Amino acid sequence: MVESILSYGLAMGAVYALMAVTYNVMFSTSRVFSFTAGALGMLGGVFGALFIGRLGLPSGVGFLLTLGCCALIGVVTEFVAVRPVLKSLDQHLYVLSTLALTLMIQQFTAIEWSTVPQPFPRVLPFDLFVRERFWMPVLACAVVVGGMEFLYRHSMVGRAFLAIAEDNFAARALGLPERGLRIGSYALAGMIGGLAGFTSGGILLAFFANVPTLNFYGFVPVALGGIGNNRGAVVAGLALGLFQQAANYLVGGVFASVAIFSVFIVALLAAPQGLFGAAPARRV
Amino acid sequence: MKLTRRSVLAGTTAAAALPLVAVRSASAAAEPIRFGWLTALTGANSAPGIGFNRGVVYAVDKINAAGGVHGRKIEIITRDSQGDPAKAVNAAVDLASNAKVHAVFGPVNSGESLATTPIFTRFKIPSLGICVVDSLINPTKFPNAFRLSPDSSQWDDANRHYIMDILKAKKVAVLGDNTGYGTTATATSTAAFKKAGANVVYSAVIDANAQDVSPDLIHARDAGAEAIAVWSDSTGLDARLMNARGRLGWDVSMSGHPALGSGDVRHLLEKPEYWNKVYVVGYRSCSFDAAGKLPPKSAAFVKEVAGKVKLDDTLLWWVMAAVDAVTLVAEAVGKTGSSDPAPIIGYWNKLAKWEGLYGNYHFTPEEHNGYPTDEIVMSAANSSHDGAMNIAPGYA
Repeated sequence: MVESILSYGLAMGAVYALMAVTYNVMFSTSRVFSFTAGALGMLGGVFGALFIGRLGLPSGVGFLLTLGCCALIGVVTEFVAVRPVLKSLDQHLYVLSTLALTLMIQQFTAIEWSTVPQPFPRVLPFDLFVRERFWMPVLACAVVVGGMEFLYRHSMVGRAFLAIAEDNFAARALGLPERGLRIGSYALAGMIGGLAGFTSGGILLAFFANVPTLNFYGFVPVALGGIGNNRGAVVAGLALGLFQQAANYLVGGVFASVAIFSVFIVALLAAPQGLFGAAPARRV
Repeated sequence: MKLTRRSVLAGTTAAAALPLVAVRSASAAAEPIRFGWLTALTGANSAPGIGFNRGVVYAVDKINAAGGVHGRKIEIITRDSQGDPAKAVNAAVDLASNAKVHAVFGPVNSGESLATTPIFTRFKIPSLGICVVDSLINPTKFPNAFRLSPDSSQWDDANRHYIMDILKAKKVAVLGDNTGYGTTATATSTAAFKKAGANVVYSAVIDANAQDVSPDLIHARDAGAEAIAVWSDSTGLDARLMNARGRLGWDVSMSGHPALGSGDVRHLLEKPEYWNKVYVVGYRSCSFDAAGKLPPKSAAFVKEVAGKVKLDDTLLWWVMAAVDAVTLVAEAVGKTGSSDPAPIIGYWNKLAKWEGLYGNYHFTPEEHNGYPTDEIVMSAANSSHDGAMNIAPGYA
């Protein structure tokens, strides 16, 4: 039981954390919560199964193609669902536009790929102590968070991301290519979402209906970890995965979801800014 | 008789109208029988519709090639609902009011049928259904609606009979998914097992997308379950249940929803042997016996359609039930000489043990559930070929 809680809990926790980072990266340059995050995760699994399982390409090639396709979907999101509504962010029209694009992607996948879950192929011919489906998401999460830390703290591009996130107009006034950086961040988010779906394909399978699960559970670490806080997202994501799996054993069935969201609501009531987020400054 | 201007006028009008009446009845005789066919042919949940469609097209082509029904050809008027109840409602109104169909078959999905059944009743269109939700058939409320398939209680009866009387299991676990169907079926099945004297040691509704279902199986195993009834049409959940059972090394029988035997499950299993000891609701007409033979009538049909109707990627009962639906409409028009609603419904109401391909239906004015329970049997989930399965072990 403990082994199952740890293996599934950490793996799914890492996937939720990666989805949270996907949300955060898109948010950082646009102030938009793009609900295409779940679609990117779903497509990571579907593209992986398509390239490696169905077309028989080598795992490495399939992996790179998956990341490339998901990056492209990220860029399309920016053009189609984000850019048109940036001028009226206060009206939160992005909820509608990104959800609409997500639904279109989901339905298109259902029609063109399959309406039932499809198997995800083995990526590597060996396992590292545990099966690849369990260690790959955790490794991916560690690499992404480490990479994001490096990007934000030790590179000019990352600092430019942070500058835009902090004050869009000031960053533009300083001559930063705001539009290009925003497109770049959506491509990066596409790759991170695709990575989450690809590495968890063995657990989630290649299934169009994974979108709501990834969107929903991926948003919990964003809220708990504090918006834009990747370190908080990782801690909250892993905690969510472990708690979800423990709740599966303790209460079983659909009541596990009830337990998760009960704790989530209580946590947000106690710390509305998220457990790791700073309380927003209020102008007086 | 006194000849008045009024009687002369009336007689002249009647004489003038006579040729018109004759022309009209002649055209009615040549008028095609419009067979409404409403189903999901694209999008999610289209697999059954595609299978049924093969049967509809085959049966209509066969009847038309033989000269039709008293010279009247059957015209299939198809509407694709895409599995969306809202689109099914629009299509039902279109079939009834614009296309003016004489009878309708479908939808083949309960969610859509719940929306369209009252519409066909309002337009008094004789309709043949294939969905299992109990409330779809009510001769008082929907006197035009007849069911060719079993209802969900009959599925449950057959599964319970197999678990309790053939597998001799007394401690049972009941699992279903968290869809509307799964939740209802789990509750109904649990109650029926208890009523029949079984000890339901574990009953749970599981998220259809749950990644790890081993907690529920461990709960069931620790509670002492000797068999598991599964009510989910989610092939992902079904496969995960079998994989978890296999990883636990638990040699328990699983039986229930036909989706447990879907070809999609095969690709999701970690090992092929995880499909052993899994039984699904099936039908005698579409089951291979211990000698590997179908019943004679079904075997003759499979031989007849070989090379014309693809069976290896669908279910035989979908194709045969659709042939039965077309035949029932054609026979009603042929025997009554009319394609009006009342004669067709009246004819169906008097069918006693009508021998079809898929089943032997029995309808009365009070009972529009025509499929006999004793023709429902469990089948071995991993034995599908030519759209049919082997009958589960233990049947006479």
